[in-house]
Amino acid sequence: MEKISQSVVKKDHAPKVSGRSIYVADYPPEGVLCGKLLHSKVARAKILGVEVPKLPEGYFYVDARDVPGDNNVNIVLDDTPVFCRDTVEYIGEPIAMICGPDEKEVIRLRDECKVAYEELEPVLDFYSADEKFFDYNFGHGDVDKAFAEADKTYEEEFETGYQEQAYLETQGMMAEPEEGGRMFVHGSSQCAYYIHGAVMRALGCGPTGVHIKQDVTGGGFGGKEAFPSILGCQVAVAARKCGKPVRCVFDRREDMEYTSKRHPSFCRYKAAVKDGRVTALDIDVKFNAGAYSTLSAVVLQRGIIASPGIYNIPNVRVHGSAVKTNTSPCGAYRGFGGPQTFFAVEMFMSHIARDLGREPLEFKRTHLVKQGDQTSTCGKYHFPVPIPDMIDEVVRESDFENKRREYAKAQTGRYRRGIGMSMYFHGAGFTGAGERDLIKAVARLRKYKDGRVEVLASNGDIGQGVRTTFPKIVANELNLPLDQVFYEHPDTARVPDSGPTVASRSLMIVGELLRRAAIKLREQWKDGEEQEVEEHYKEPDFVIPFYIDKFEGDAYPTYAWAVNAIELEIDTYTGVARVLGAYGSFDVGTPVDYNVVMGQMEGGFLQGIGYASIEKMDYDSKGRIRNNSLSDYLIPTTMDVPRLKCMLHVEKYPDGPYGAKGAGELPLVGAPAAYLEAVEQALGGMKLNHAPFTAEDTLSAITKEVN
Amino acid sequence: MVNGYAAASLAEALEIRSNQKVVPYAGGTDLMVENRSGVDYLFLGKIPELRNINEDDEYIRIGAAVTFTQALEDKKVPALMKEALKRIAAPAIRNAGTFGGNLGNGSAKADSVLIEFVSDARLRLASRDKERIVDVDKFYLGRKKLDLAADELIVEILLPRTGLDRYSYEKVGGRNALAISRVSFAGIFDERDGRITKLAAAFGAVADTVLRYKDLEETMLGKTLDEARELKEKYLEGYAERMVLTQGRVSAEYRKKVCMNLLGDFLAKFGI
Repeated sequence: MEKISQSVVKKDHAPKVSGRSIYVADYPPEGVLCGKLLHSKVARAKILGVEVPKLPEGYFYVDARDVPGDNNVNIVLDDTPVFCRDTVEYIGEPIAMICGPDEKEVIRLRDECKVAYEELEPVLDFYSADEKFFDYNFGHGDVDKAFAEADKTYEEEFETGYQEQAYLETQGMMAEPEEGGRMFVHGSSQCAYYIHGAVMRALGCGPTGVHIKQDVTGGGFGGKEAFPSILGCQVAVAARKCGKPVRCVFDRREDMEYTSKRHPSFCRYKAAVKDGRVTALDIDVKFNAGAYSTLSAVVLQRGIIASPGIYNIPNVRVHGSAVKTNTSPCGAYRGFGGPQTFFAVEMFMSHIARDLGREPLEFKRTHLVKQGDQTSTCGKYHFPVPIPDMIDEVVRESDFENKRREYAKAQTGRYRRGIGMSMYFHGAGFTGAGERDLIKAVARLRKYKDGRVEVLASNGDIGQGVRTTFPKIVANELNLPLDQVFYEHPDTARVPDSGPTVASRSLMIVGELLRRAAIKLREQWKDGEEQEVEEHYKEPDFVIPFYIDKFEGDAYPTYAWAVNAIELEIDTYTGVARVLGAYGSFDVGTPVDYNVVMGQMEGGFLQGIGYASIEKMDYDSKGRIRNNSLSDYLIPTTMDVPRLKCMLHVEKYPDGPYGAKGAGELPLVGAPAAYLEAVEQALGGMKLNHAPFTAEDTLSAITKEVN
Repeated sequence: MVNGYAAASLAEALEIRSNQKVVPYAGGTDLMVENRSGVDYLFLGKIPELRNINEDDEYIRIGAAVTFTQALEDKKVPALMKEALKRIAAPAIRNAGTFGGNLGNGSAKADSVLIEFVSDARLRLASRDKERIVDVDKFYLGRKKLDLAADELIVEILLPRTGLDRYSYEKVGGRNALAISRVSFAGIFDERDGRITKLAAAFGAVADTVLRYKDLEETMLGKTLDEARELKEKYLEGYAERMVLTQGRVSAEYRKKVCMNLLGDFLAKFGI
């Protein structure tokens, strides 16, 4: 193992395990007002008025009229209001905030607010919803010709459901007015500068009128990419009106029901096959965006770019849309659109193979992309594609081929087994030209007189370890002990904008800036002096420029790759599936800390298995999410996958620090397809098309088969 | 503010119970989930009389404040009960959760209660002035409805000492640990001289209370296995007809299908 990969104790280990870390809810309540949101109870309505109970002294009612700047939260577009406009568009939409010193009293006042709704017909049927927030088309080759010349064509539909991030710490933000009119906003978050931009706009102030700090954050998984911008604006507006600090921390039910989740998807895939090869794919991807567009544009882009999978298909046509329904806006969640389309394409390829009388693994192998091939967006796979070797690793570790053969034989009795495999990538870093055109990351190092070095960047540690891995890179270049280099939670008043904590980019992009900055500092190091160095992002020369209007070019400079196998046993009396083993080979380049990366791989893989199997969430005929607690929405525990074997395959990326690529999101993406393929085999070769596939789904599939 | 009472003896607890409106608790695991304001609580977890497992000629007597972990480590507790106990929640909850609390919560999902139903357990209840013994199925009146007076406490669970050796137990939860039962099943079989002497089947988590149909069970008693196999179809039809299940975290149809599958498996296991 390389020196940089050797594990160290995480910098935040001791305060976290000893319970000394201060989360936003932990700041003493003295002098801080508690804020509680008044949420819409209906999915779509005109607000005729709100009858507010008489407020005791020191209590405040805050709504859109109190927004000093613009009542639109800047995310990708600006359609999400800080507080609702004349209408509410989903159950849970914030109408107002009640603030006051006593939490119980605030809740009582909030609950006594009488909202007069003039109800409007909500759009809840995702399949027929046709108001498109985003609509993209791209492709290459001649799809129609390929279909005309095909030996055989296929068409199938695939669906995936919501997935809730279920971070340990719920959403929470706090705003404190400072002297001179400046507003200080801090809380549980991933992207300090996103919040900075949003709050500036809501308060109508310049960049120095507000500063944002990330507090210790109990998990994000994407759920704290955009949402804290909205909540940050709300507490900032409230604090401005009240003239006091205001803190709003969601309870679990509020969080699960009203905050962003993974987009449900509906995909229609068509394939043309000629001489045993898929010659064309015609793909239609539809995501349920919810009531406002938030991050749907970029989630959809990542989803559709990945929609042909990791296969070299000469003719591809992709149409993708994100439609509006009157439900909670969906947003970022680890994988960011990829899990939906990789599920569809992996299942589709497997089904085609079986129809052709071929083993899915062998069939997929003959279609794999390799270095130099064209990507779905006419970019290029610039670096070696290690998938064939990774397949071998997973096959060996899981005894895949023997089991696959064994379980293909007719099974009788109560318990039946199956094994399945998936293969996929996660594009490392922002999609398209975002890194070059929008983010333009800047990172800094400050050396103090005593020789300690501080990392100045805006990436938040959300458990993925950047407070440890960033200093590790810098310490490595400067030959300093790790305790001489430190990285605090970012405060926009102190750190440059090195971009958001998203897209598995922090280590690969910002880590490399810090590595270069450290080299620069090394070259000009003067003992006893305070020094500062800065590095700016520059797109690598090899990158083929990406243009979003035509969806052409390198959507990503490089890719993290993975192969998963899942083996399970189905109880045909109860439908319950027991995972016997989950095997993953993951290429995230050089691990900058082995334990950190393995923690990510195992946790993400388990989250993916939850997404495939038990994590079911839906809204009812009124647009309400009913299972809004952790006893009604179950996520897997370690008892559910006792044998979880993760392996690292290292294909170095020359432009990442020491060869590191994006890691965080990769392990979640492929589990559903591997899981479902295993269920299909256990059930005697059924074709399944939706995830999650629950025990109830299994039993109903068995019952249908029998009848 | 919550007022808490902590009793050092059963007599003291019953005295408080007779004078105050209190919610009794021992392990407190359910209070972690639902801690109501404006309610007075009576803590029973340290009362020695409630923390013992004894046996007499007829019964294993499990104190209401005995924890699941304690019972799992006790040789006197029958294997069938242990099957259910070891799948309750997770170790930390089992260390604190008690038999009395599982009963007192009034839920048909309570895993230890299912075993009490299928094994014809009885409960010893006490108030300051009197004591009574009640069959568990008479104690459970419906969802959150118990035959427990405001001044009474559950003192002991009386599990029959014999006849619990040949059983089936199944728990279907949403996951392998920390899962509330979605369907649970327990069956007990016994025979003497080639004739069935016991065929008890209980279903948990599928209706407002644990389901058991003693009249259907009786149709099989005294029969040989051959005769039972002939009656099997009619017997199963009886269950299919009688079981009207509720929709919960899973559909009623799913629950019914699982119940019938598990009942069929139980019969098959003992040659019926």
